[in-house]
Amino acid sequence: MRRHIFCLAAMLCFALAAAAQSRSITGKVTDKNGAPLPAISVTVKNSTTGTATDKDGLFKITVPSPASILVFSSAETETAEVSVGSQTFIAVKLNSKSGNLQEVVVTALGIVRDKRSLSYATQNLKAEQIADKGSVNLVGALEGKVAGVNITGASGAAGASTNINIRGITSFNGNNQPLFVIDGIPISNDVDRTSNTLFDNQPANRAIDIDVNNIESVNILKGPAASVLYGSRAAAGAIIITTKKGGKAGGRTEIILNSSYGQQTFSGLPKVQNEYGQGLGGVYNPQSTSSWGPRFDATPTVANGLIVGGVTQNYKAYPNNISDFFETGTLIDNNLTINSGDAKQNFTFSAGYTKNKGILPNNDLNRATIKIGANTVLRDKITVGGSASIINTLQNGIVGGNGASALGVLAGLARSIDLTSYKTNGTYKNADGSNNFLISGVENPYFGAYENTTKSNLYRFIGTLNVGYDITKWLNIAYRLGGDIYTDRRKQVYAITSIRNPGGQIIENTVSRSEINGDLMITAKKNGLFTKRLNATATLGQNINQRKFQSVFLQGDGLTIPGYYNINNATTLTNGSFETTTNRRLLGFYGQFSFAYSNYLFLELTGRADESSTLPPSKSTYFYPSVSSGFVFTDALKIKSNVLSYGKIRASYAKVGRDADPYLLTNVFVPAAFGNNVAAYSFPLILVTGSIPGFSTSSRIAPVEPLSPEFTTSKEVGVNLSFFKNRLSVDLAYFDQDSRDQIINVALAPSTGFGSKTTNIGEMTNKGVELTLNLAPVSTRDFKWDISYNYTRIRNKVISISPGITSFSITGNAFTGSIPSIKVGEPYGVILGGVIPRSPNGQRIINPATGVYQPTVAGQVLANPNPDYSMGITNNFTYKRINLNFTFDFTKGGQVLSFTSGLYKSRGVWYKTAEDRESPRILEGVIEFPAGSGKYIPNNIQIPAQTYWQTLGGLQSEFNVYDATVLRLRELSLGYDVPSEVISKLKINAIRFSIYGRNLFYKAPNAIFDPEVNTQGAGNIRGLELQSAPNARTIGANLKITF
Amino acid sequence: MKKVSIIICALALGFTSCKKFLDVNTTPNNPTSVPPSTLLTTTTTGMAFANANDLNRATSAIMQHIAGVANQTAAYDVYALDGAFDNQWNGEIYGTTLQNLQVLIDQYSNSSPAYSGIAKIEMAYVYSMAADIWGDVPYSQAAQGLKYENPRFDKVQDIYQGNATLNITSLFDLVKSGLADLAKPNNVLKPGSKDDLIYGGDLTKWTRAGNTLLLKFAIMLTNVNPTLAQSTISSVLTSGQYINSNTLDFEVPFGSSVGNRNPIFDFNNNLRQSDQMLSSRLLALCQSLNDTVRLAKYFTKPTGSFVAFNNGSTAAVPSLATRSKYNIYLTGAAGGEAPIRLLTNFQVNFILAEAALVLGTSGDPNAYYQAGITANMQKIGMTATEINTYFTNNPTVVTLSGTTQQKLQQIITQKYIAWIGNGIEAFDDYRRTGYPVLALPLNAVGDNPNVVPTRLPYTPNELARNPNAPNPRPKTDVKLWWAK
Repeated sequence: MRRHIFCLAAMLCFALAAAAQSRSITGKVTDKNGAPLPAISVTVKNSTTGTATDKDGLFKITVPSPASILVFSSAETETAEVSVGSQTFIAVKLNSKSGNLQEVVVTALGIVRDKRSLSYATQNLKAEQIADKGSVNLVGALEGKVAGVNITGASGAAGASTNINIRGITSFNGNNQPLFVIDGIPISNDVDRTSNTLFDNQPANRAIDIDVNNIESVNILKGPAASVLYGSRAAAGAIIITTKKGGKAGGRTEIILNSSYGQQTFSGLPKVQNEYGQGLGGVYNPQSTSSWGPRFDATPTVANGLIVGGVTQNYKAYPNNISDFFETGTLIDNNLTINSGDAKQNFTFSAGYTKNKGILPNNDLNRATIKIGANTVLRDKITVGGSASIINTLQNGIVGGNGASALGVLAGLARSIDLTSYKTNGTYKNADGSNNFLISGVENPYFGAYENTTKSNLYRFIGTLNVGYDITKWLNIAYRLGGDIYTDRRKQVYAITSIRNPGGQIIENTVSRSEINGDLMITAKKNGLFTKRLNATATLGQNINQRKFQSVFLQGDGLTIPGYYNINNATTLTNGSFETTTNRRLLGFYGQFSFAYSNYLFLELTGRADESSTLPPSKSTYFYPSVSSGFVFTDALKIKSNVLSYGKIRASYAKVGRDADPYLLTNVFVPAAFGNNVAAYSFPLILVTGSIPGFSTSSRIAPVEPLSPEFTTSKEVGVNLSFFKNRLSVDLAYFDQDSRDQIINVALAPSTGFGSKTTNIGEMTNKGVELTLNLAPVSTRDFKWDISYNYTRIRNKVISISPGITSFSITGNAFTGSIPSIKVGEPYGVILGGVIPRSPNGQRIINPATGVYQPTVAGQVLANPNPDYSMGITNNFTYKRINLNFTFDFTKGGQVLSFTSGLYKSRGVWYKTAEDRESPRILEGVIEFPAGSGKYIPNNIQIPAQTYWQTLGGLQSEFNVYDATVLRLRELSLGYDVPSEVISKLKINAIRFSIYGRNLFYKAPNAIFDPEVNTQGAGNIRGLELQSAPNARTIGANLKITF
Repeated sequence: MKKVSIIICALALGFTSCKKFLDVNTTPNNPTSVPPSTLLTTTTTGMAFANANDLNRATSAIMQHIAGVANQTAAYDVYALDGAFDNQWNGEIYGTTLQNLQVLIDQYSNSSPAYSGIAKIEMAYVYSMAADIWGDVPYSQAAQGLKYENPRFDKVQDIYQGNATLNITSLFDLVKSGLADLAKPNNVLKPGSKDDLIYGGDLTKWTRAGNTLLLKFAIMLTNVNPTLAQSTISSVLTSGQYINSNTLDFEVPFGSSVGNRNPIFDFNNNLRQSDQMLSSRLLALCQSLNDTVRLAKYFTKPTGSFVAFNNGSTAAVPSLATRSKYNIYLTGAAGGEAPIRLLTNFQVNFILAEAALVLGTSGDPNAYYQAGITANMQKIGMTATEINTYFTNNPTVVTLSGTTQQKLQQIITQKYIAWIGNGIEAFDDYRRTGYPVLALPLNAVGDNPNVVPTRLPYTPNELARNPNAPNPRPKTDVKLWWAK
């Protein structure tokens, strides 16, 4: 086994040549996944000639004759021997000695590192862990696989955003999404909002523009220690994406065709009853939105409303009227990649097209991407490379939310409404284009879906340019320039007679973002500094970053011609129209000093000074350091054991600063407006005599004291252990983060006339444990079984806000009565609302006059969206050419308030509301008896089932707060590699066929629906289901052909 | 090119020489100063919006002008009031309206006292609205930003009567200070037809409005300070400078364009069409007074007859298309442009009738009473014939008779009908006089389901953020200082 040459998987032919003169050979050494292996010893057998691979796995060596044999070896890999023959470029794949201990990862600023030398937590995912699994969105593809990360999708609608937080939330009001970096340059993962998030179409987070087929690896930099070199931008961690490059095939041209097709269905709605239909109090009423009518098998009478004017009403169940609204979605994904060249001169081209028709009517996401990239090495000293990607993403969605939206009306649709016929007959609108529905004043869900649409059309360019120069063997200077520029043209229309905008509305919203980032890096390496065993690397850098944003929002109201959505059809253009433009710049200087002693003791010091345009000059420059150290005690103490193969302990301390949003430093005036979604007023006032403006001092007061950056301090300790020749490896980390001097618009007492003042105040902590565990229970030549497991437990706590302020709402849209808030002593993001008063024993108090609960007390914690812990486990079985891979994840705790569930109850639609409906109920609770005595007796007041369920169905009531504990079969894929002997005649190198499933199964023991939804999407507001789309289940097949 | 050179400079030399590179934090999105005309339009509209929006819906439901049949209005209908009205307290009263009134007073008292004079009158109106609804409210320390981060809750009696020790100016003195500003001769800037939405820059009319406001304040004190009430009313009567004709009514115009509509229309006819309708209690009252011709000016009859709903009922709600809802007097013929009426001639006549009756101020109570009914009927668009017919056919209704209390009941009942669409005024009079007599809604809940609320609960945001807010808040059965 030990001498197995099996590892020389990609050997080229052995043609002999007669020339017997010494010549130069180049080559590249990679691991079995194609990742470059640095510091591999390359020697000519039986001679003293030798060299080592560089950071890209490249080497160059002079051999005396074609008969020479090259020996590749290192401490971590198995040794390989290769005959030179006539080759001039040799590509070698080396297996690690066992497992994948020698792991090279891309860290901050694109610095490639041996994982052994890192003293902070990172986690690396390879292409095969991400692609071909039915997730269009990269963030969704990470679900269940990464420790220390919380990921929640907004819903199953095509293009809906996905929230990601690494190691908890550290900023009260800042962006808590990690920084996304592609090939060394930061890109936007913003969610651009066109309308109120309570009612919108769930726009995408912009990482959705990344074609997952084109990803080589993703590395997650978790704590500030890992991401500190990225500075303020990465205060919430970083997701480092490396895309596929040319040159992997060692001079050959590799063409990869990848094609997949999947189908999506909805999943996770509450179960319905089909025994009772539309009405109230047991009486049929075709105007009712509830299903408290008579039983379907009731004898029609005048009293039960089934006979009106002598005519028996058509009254029967339509059991599928809700489920039939959802459609079978499709997911088509095609990608062509061409990689060519060798390690020095290479070229890559990739074109992809993804078409996702969602589970909702009139909901889809189409994405086309083209990328070209090339790298070259000039005169062995200068590396030049670059890439350009052009992306076009179209998202077409329907608005959701409480009340007058398709999904709002569909939630708890009365059981006797024949909804489908409106679609099949096209009668959801009248001949004049107006809304048509059985219930007056209610929007037909199909009218909402087909007439009130939101379309987004985004063009994006991402470009990178790298230049590097090896001044000497030990000194390199490099510059990297990146640009991420996009424009998203959006059009949202509400048809005339829509319930939300009866007069019709057109919104033309153009959102542009551009980010330019430049990094100058000087790297010096010295092996054998002071002593032979000490290797040192120093990197000095300078960073320049500019981010521009513009949103031009033109709102046309009061449409005249139905179905004509040109802004010139609007009678009012001033209501809500605005432009927002921001520009922010940052200059950073940083240094990193890494020391490795005998490859078992590591020390790393970093420092970064940022100067931000968004802070006042006196506070605009801020410095933050990190120090981390790792100690491979098994090597140092020369522990050689068959049980413990590797052991490292590590610790780090880091601080990271975060600047403010632009334009917070001055007081301004804003156009005046009053009201909300039920009645609203905005200036200018248009009268026959002309247009009259109105302004107001902004409700925010600019900082009185100069604003300073906010800081998060992180302490982390961890241990990496490997056992049984690396068959089992463990990575355990504990972190303690403290975030202070939050830049917040701290709420003021409203009676001050103002809403908030911007200041540095408040403190929040995050403490957590992360565990990843990799196990290879079986590893034979034909059969391999790998298990990887991850566990995350994070405890967030708001320590303080400001004197006198115990809570305030998170910036964003909220319904009064269920407000996502920051509350002292609670974890971030609790939902505050009304809670029923309790007796001293903790039982809910009943109003003796009515038999229902006493009115709620406002401002209490209604729900806490933060999970207790989460874990994921991936099993990977490989038997010869067959590969089975599946991931389960489990989230314990966390709560979600569900409006949909509330309506299912209050409207008598949930299946349990039909159980024994004719019998009276008694709400669980106590009555104060005698009144005012402070003594309580159990409630004994009978109320009708309808009253009972209407009480339990209050939208913002504690009865619709659900424990979001959920076990899920997140992904499953089964693949087969066609044997090469079958296909080699076709000049095909490889064919892989696989089938996949996503979200095939879930079990939420304490919720009546799939609780893993988050209506308002990526952002700081979590734990609310406000009648948005349910989740989707995807099943598909994938074919990958490599030429 | 300049940008490029700056970037290159930054790349090459670092930041010490590139201060300009980072000097990009000036907002292009908002102005940093605006003329007072643009603030006055805001405060005037805000004052009316606050009066006619959610506070109006809640008080109109409590006063059973309307019955709430869905969502918030249905909750208010049965006194489920806790947790509501943050938007009103935060964004319609203290924020935006009082916030900018304070700016007008602070910045223009010296240079342009016409603006500060108007601002003081509007401010007095808005504070009185808040104090009458909630009781003790932030007043002397409110709406001044960081000067008082936790404004004190001043007592209602101090707000009405002043308190020198606590440095509280009375509402009466605030109005008088405004009237004094209006009389000052020199103004750098003067309100005109474009920004004085109510009187087009006619300051004499503002004087009348200010004096009328004094009448409104005075009549609130009949139970607690009749002396001040009597003297104030007599003094205004003597001046003659008050709203004594429908054409002088203090009312704020709205538009029919989207976003400019009055909140009664925007809620009732646009965004929440299904939530509220005519109360069967009001219908019964008007029917008992043979007053349905007038009621039809306030409420529609889509089916040819009134379709009302009983307050708090859980019975099936009639089909939307058949419901009696607010009519164009309140919503506007074109849609939303009906003005929000804050001080009216009919109101003045009812005040003077009551004052003559209970305070002994000059004039004949019955004459004022009849003038009030007539002014209201004219205002809502009844024809002279309709008015005459009503007076002829209902002599006992339009003539005060019986004891003082019975006469008072007649006056306040007529005022109650006249104020349909302005629940706040009706709510104030009800708590002060006990008229009209209201039956509890069905299925009442709230702090005390057995009592018509005597106030609205303080709002969650203020309770959470102001340590000076009374905590726990007073229940909604605790009477206000001036209440009966």
